Amino acid sequence: MTAASATATKATAAADPMAGRIQATIERAIQRNIKGLEYIGSSAPVMGTTAKDLIHSRGTLNLYHYRPLADEIYRVPLLLVMATTNKGYIFDLAPGQSLVEYLLKRGYDVYVMDWNPPRADEKHLSLESYVLDFIPDCVGRVQAESGEEDVTIVGYCMGGVLSVMYAALHAEGPIKNLACFTTPIDYEHMTMFQRWSDRRYFEVDRLVDTLGNIPSELIFTSFEMLRPATRIAGQVQLWENIWNDDYVKSYRMFDRWSTDTLPLAGEYFRQTTKELMWENSLFKGKLTLNGKRVDLGNIKVPVFHALAQHDHIVPYDAGKPLIASVGAEDKKEIVLKGGHVSVVAGPNAVKRLWPALDQWLGERSV
Amino acid sequence: MAEQKSTPDPAAAFRELVSQWEKGFNEFASRTMNSEEFSRAMNKATTASTVMQQQLGELIGRYLMTLNLPSRSEMMNIGERLQAIETNLHRLSTQLEKVGGGSPNSPAAGPPRTKRPPSAEQKGDAA
Repeated sequence: MTAASATATKATAAADPMAGRIQATIERAIQRNIKGLEYIGSSAPVMGTTAKDLIHSRGTLNLYHYRPLADEIYRVPLLLVMATTNKGYIFDLAPGQSLVEYLLKRGYDVYVMDWNPPRADEKHLSLESYVLDFIPDCVGRVQAESGEEDVTIVGYCMGGVLSVMYAALHAEGPIKNLACFTTPIDYEHMTMFQRWSDRRYFEVDRLVDTLGNIPSELIFTSFEMLRPATRIAGQVQLWENIWNDDYVKSYRMFDRWSTDTLPLAGEYFRQTTKELMWENSLFKGKLTLNGKRVDLGNIKVPVFHALAQHDHIVPYDAGKPLIASVGAEDKKEIVLKGGHVSVVAGPNAVKRLWPALDQWLGERSV
Repeated sequence: MAEQKSTPDPAAAFRELVSQWEKGFNEFASRTMNSEEFSRAMNKATTASTVMQQQLGELIGRYLMTLNLPSRSEMMNIGERLQAIETNLHRLSTQLEKVGGGSPNSPAAGPPRTKRPPSAEQKGDAA
């Protein structure tokens, strides 16, 4: 809407509210049609543009080092561990909406573990591969690149689960702090996933043995089924707001990211289904990786856990036991308004999670 | 002002309607899907579709073989091998760059790691 037409609409609204509203509605409808055509013809938004270097790549694993944006940085580098189901650019959506950019500007040295779709020959990758190989490998590379012994790990969702397992099995270090976002520990409370993976009906062995890796479509569908009307309602809201460039940009970024789901390595999927969903062994303290028991009580470093009030993927009760179970004395849980994704990225995260994380990390990164 | 408030806003009513529909439908779907019957039916369908997909893939693979053409999985394998070669090339070139500029394990030059949190700086100022 142009400034002149907005002024005219305001003048009309002042004179006759009903006429003003009708005029505004008509102008919006015209704008919708113009912008709607632009939307169809425009290319997808570019994301993950903060300057970075790929410092290590091995099959499904990518390790990025972001270029510093501050003249002076904290001593302890941060290693962000992305969930294995989605791409890591949720941490770096767009300038002004990027957690990575925010952290860089606040003086952190940021590394991100991101994932490629696992190749067919990587179907054997297991929880052990991620927890006892990929994460230690990246921690070692961060140490070498930064010249620092200590490393802080920040994990999101399943990335948080892997980070928690790593921290529990590496109590001797070099992890300095552990921050998790929406990390499930007690899988009994993942109600819908529990129901769908009911061991009486869900033939996980047959699925993995047949497919090798679990296709991204299956992962995407299972997330979508949690709230089947939300995509349609989102599209209706998009049409309603298509005149608003900021809304459209934000919608497209989140939509692209949420549909950019990754396949999962077969063995890893089998293990997470059996060990976490069926046996709930992480919560019960019975999970063993390479013969070592994953005891959350071994985590003595400072722990921060951010959960979302309206998280439909990881309900509060599923994430709550993390802080209760770790052996750390310095630990903090915060529950923020928002959903599973909006708590980490987007306008609400900028105001809520990011400053809280910065405040917590800053004091522990020297 | 009071007159403006009393004027009906069809757009706001529409938004409310969509929001209510979304909430209601999601709740209904959750109730339906959170049942043993749904779990059984969904998993039966998933298994059947997986098996069918596999059998279809094998059939098409045999057909392509008779035409002396590569199947999708063979093409994907070639793609993956190429990706692996590219990754190794990237690794080698990174190593070479580092060797050219110093030890591969030497820390990258960057800003000094001397930053203090604002709270510590405030305490320092007060002292």
